[in-house]
Amino acid sequence: MSATTVDAAGVPTREQVVRRHKAKKAALIAALVVCAAFPAAPIVWMLSSSFKTNGEIFAYPPRLVTSNFSFDAYVAILTDPEKLRFFFNSYLIAGAVTVLTLAVAVLAAYAFSRFEFPGKRLINVVVISVQAVPPITLLIPYFGLVVALGLYNTYPGLILTYMVFTLPYAIIMMTGYFNTLPRELDEAVKVDGGRPITALFRVLLPISVPGMVSVGVYTFMIAWNEYLFALTLTRTNDMRTVPIGIQLLMGQHAYEWNQMMAMSVLGSIPVLVLFLFFQRYFIGGMSAGAVKA
Amino acid sequence: MSNGARARKAFMAGAAGFAIFGLAACSSGGTTTDDGSTGTDTGSGEEVTLEFAQWWEPELPEGMLRGLMDQFEEENPGITVELLSGPYASTKEQVVAGAASGTMSDVVGLDGAWVSDFVQQGAISDLSALMTEAGYDESQLASQVQLNGSTYMIPVVNFAYMLFSNQDLLDAAGVDVPTTRSEFEAAAKAVTTDDVSGWILPLSLEAPNGIQNDVMSWVWASGGSMLADGQPDVTNDEVKSAVEFIAQLDADGVIAPGAATLKEQDKVEEFTNGRVAMMVSSLAHINTIRESNPDLNFTLSALPAEDGYTGERGTPYASWGIGVAENSEHKAEAFKLIEFLMSEAANGELANAANAFPGNSTAVPEFVENDPMFQTAFDVWQAGYPANEFVGLPVAEQLMRDFSEQFQSMLAGEIDVDTALANAQAAWEEEF
Amino acid sequence: MTTTLTPPEARAGKGAEPPAASTRRRDLLRRLGPFGFLSPTLVLLIILMVTPIVMVIGYSLMDRVITAPESNFVGFENYGEVLTDPVFMVAVRNTVFFAGASVIAHFVIGMGFALMLNSPMLGHRTKAIFRTVYILPWLFTIAIVAVLWRMLLSPNGIVNYLTETFGLSSGTVEWLSDPSLALPAVTFINIWSGYPFFMVSLLAGLQGISKDLYEAALIDRAGPVKQFFHVTIPQLKPIIISMALLDFIWTTQQFALIWMTTGGGPINRTEMLSTYTYKLAFATYDFSVASAAAVIVLVLSMILAYLYVRHQKARD
Repeated sequence: MSATTVDAAGVPTREQVVRRHKAKKAALIAALVVCAAFPAAPIVWMLSSSFKTNGEIFAYPPRLVTSNFSFDAYVAILTDPEKLRFFFNSYLIAGAVTVLTLAVAVLAAYAFSRFEFPGKRLINVVVISVQAVPPITLLIPYFGLVVALGLYNTYPGLILTYMVFTLPYAIIMMTGYFNTLPRELDEAVKVDGGRPITALFRVLLPISVPGMVSVGVYTFMIAWNEYLFALTLTRTNDMRTVPIGIQLLMGQHAYEWNQMMAMSVLGSIPVLVLFLFFQRYFIGGMSAGAVKA
Repeated sequence: MSNGARARKAFMAGAAGFAIFGLAACSSGGTTTDDGSTGTDTGSGEEVTLEFAQWWEPELPEGMLRGLMDQFEEENPGITVELLSGPYASTKEQVVAGAASGTMSDVVGLDGAWVSDFVQQGAISDLSALMTEAGYDESQLASQVQLNGSTYMIPVVNFAYMLFSNQDLLDAAGVDVPTTRSEFEAAAKAVTTDDVSGWILPLSLEAPNGIQNDVMSWVWASGGSMLADGQPDVTNDEVKSAVEFIAQLDADGVIAPGAATLKEQDKVEEFTNGRVAMMVSSLAHINTIRESNPDLNFTLSALPAEDGYTGERGTPYASWGIGVAENSEHKAEAFKLIEFLMSEAANGELANAANAFPGNSTAVPEFVENDPMFQTAFDVWQAGYPANEFVGLPVAEQLMRDFSEQFQSMLAGEIDVDTALANAQAAWEEEF
Repeated sequence: MTTTLTPPEARAGKGAEPPAASTRRRDLLRRLGPFGFLSPTLVLLIILMVTPIVMVIGYSLMDRVITAPESNFVGFENYGEVLTDPVFMVAVRNTVFFAGASVIAHFVIGMGFALMLNSPMLGHRTKAIFRTVYILPWLFTIAIVAVLWRMLLSPNGIVNYLTETFGLSSGTVEWLSDPSLALPAVTFINIWSGYPFFMVSLLAGLQGISKDLYEAALIDRAGPVKQFFHVTIPQLKPIIISMALLDFIWTTQQFALIWMTTGGGPINRTEMLSTYTYKLAFATYDFSVASAAAVIVLVLSMILAYLYVRHQKARD
């Protein structure tokens, strides 16, 4: 085909450039669609299972849409006040963790980014490596501690716990983000007689919104999906979160497969919306934080 | 003060000490050691709130357990019961963590496999003492789980394990429900095709109770034992012949694929969908199967025994057991709740809702009278004896897991039966 | 926290100023300043993270903690027990394979998808749609990821159905229960569930690379491959290293996924440090030995973290 369209000198015409560009674009989109099967196919299957009856889920040969297609599983979840409470708790806790983590991490990251102080390297090593202790071994001492502090079965107990998990990453990312912002910005504030905190709040924070959004989304996800501590640190179902609600459907004798799938579909929707809403900031923010992290 | 209580106290002191250190160094605030386990006040005549932690509520019809509790509260003014429910798979961790920090609920649901470990930890109370104190008539209890001569757990309801057969598949292959091992092997071979397996064996290491329900059950059904004087004895002839029998089934190719990671729930799904002709399973699954596949034509029978065995057959079972926390401040009230749950009426009602056999020796649940399938099962249950040698053993779950690993190794062809059993025996001796 | 009161003689450069009392106070404030910013973090981490870790270290030096009334100091006996346990070594080997393969695959897949999604040929809306599709695996709690894949990979699951229908395999493949397939299978699941994090970070990084660099490369007649290795990779190196470290640390403690798919089996083919520690703690109630295993993991990752921090310092 190229033989007939390329002119004598071998220089592609404008029309050819456009056509080649279009072909490339089509190929790219085709590749993206094909590759999308990797992340999406299992999710499609999850979605499909949530509309089946429990018996059909394991039928062989498997079918995407069955004759008993129904929204029963969704109705069962959305009409159960206990399960709705799980969703409410998850929002509340994940939201609070996100806001508080950002507030605390921003202050710490400012210190790491703008000051030299004794023990900086040690604190850095500790902040990174505490993430590596298997949570399961911390469970019992941690539980004792939370009970001793009077935080057992309370929202603050869970919120502070998740902050401990999310802070290290948030600090690392925010430090990297602040490092990308020129120091001259805050020096100018200091020259005008302002204190460091003024520089942070008046100058750095307003231009750091993308970085904070990216850290925020990550933090939200961690708090939203955590299971082990959410279960151990709560006593009554009115304090529990969606992952526990899902686990409660895995009974001793049988699983409520369709409801499990429906509940995780429902659980993922808010996070998906959050991502869609924030993704422009998110992508932009990650870059700056990560480059210098 | 018991040793367990002392250890917990030391633990709490340590935790609180750290907390005080942290708080004093960095901010203000006090430590409140709210043990959270019980309500406000103690003492006679005052309101008592009992916490009852279990995984049963989500397994039962909605509101059923709460209804029983309301009835109990009505009969026992001044006592209120708070039901705390958690997922079955995580119950054990929660009890261990609760016991370590003294926040265990007053009354706890137990599995027989955990009892020894909790007694060791000093987490659960001696029920014999409570029964004596309350002047309780033990004869109405069908069974009790004892350690060192004292009762620590009372089985509230029992889930018997029997042979489930897909009658349509057996009929199509022209075989009857097997009663002996060789009949079972023949039937399994006869029904096995590309799409159907004769039998299914869940050996997941996450929940290794397949060893109890699907492997050792063959030993018990022929009157055998895996213990000798309370010590491990898995190299004996009875265990060996059962293991060799299963190895033979595997060699025949009649066991459904994927055994190493299958769980009990998977077993039931496969049977429900007609891909497995026979399984050993809990009566609790009758309703699950009926709900998922109302058309499935299946029957129940006792587990096949060794050819020529005529003695009484052990029927494997699992229980919803109950115990009282050592740290409870209301043990007398806690026992009242147990007494209530074990009473003929309440126990029968609970058993009925759970499709289980009652722990009260005189209660007969309605379903037995109304449902021929349960009637058959109840007859089998009455004819044999309840058998579950894992109940009360130390680290029972780990014992099953050790055995399962060796068993998987053997099925994978890495070691022979004798080596597998010798290894399992060695692993068990170490745990004891 | 006492260190805040006695900072070593730092910031020598400031010594040129006259040592007036007010300056000295300001100097002190400046030294304390960073700790003011750090104090919420330090309070939280010391109370809620360092305290339990110190307790775990304490447990690791005692015997029969938590489960028995009396426990005694036994020194490093528990460490000896862990380090001489052949299963521990199996767990270390499996964990290194699992985490190593996961990190590499997360990087390769994340990079591939990020490059495609970063193409200037795509419109904003198209990009937004594909980005959302490609992060899907990230949105689900790990328990659901585990049961979903158990369902997909079960002997009668959809994966086997498809491979058989398309003639890719003869007969049923026991993905999770075949001793030789189980470890690759759980690693695959983890790759699936974890790559979006890498992808998003790399995507972000790609947008931070100056266009001038690519134009300069074009002038040198560098093709796409050369551009990738001479511009993209070096520019992204800091992110790649940070992400790889964090991902490695997170993956080594992946517990729920393995526990709920294979339970560490078949036999011990997918036994990891996390499942090994769990079994010690909650199956055999050996919290002392479990704590020792946890401390070993902590020390190993502290070494990693130290190397990382030093690497950062060197770069600055």
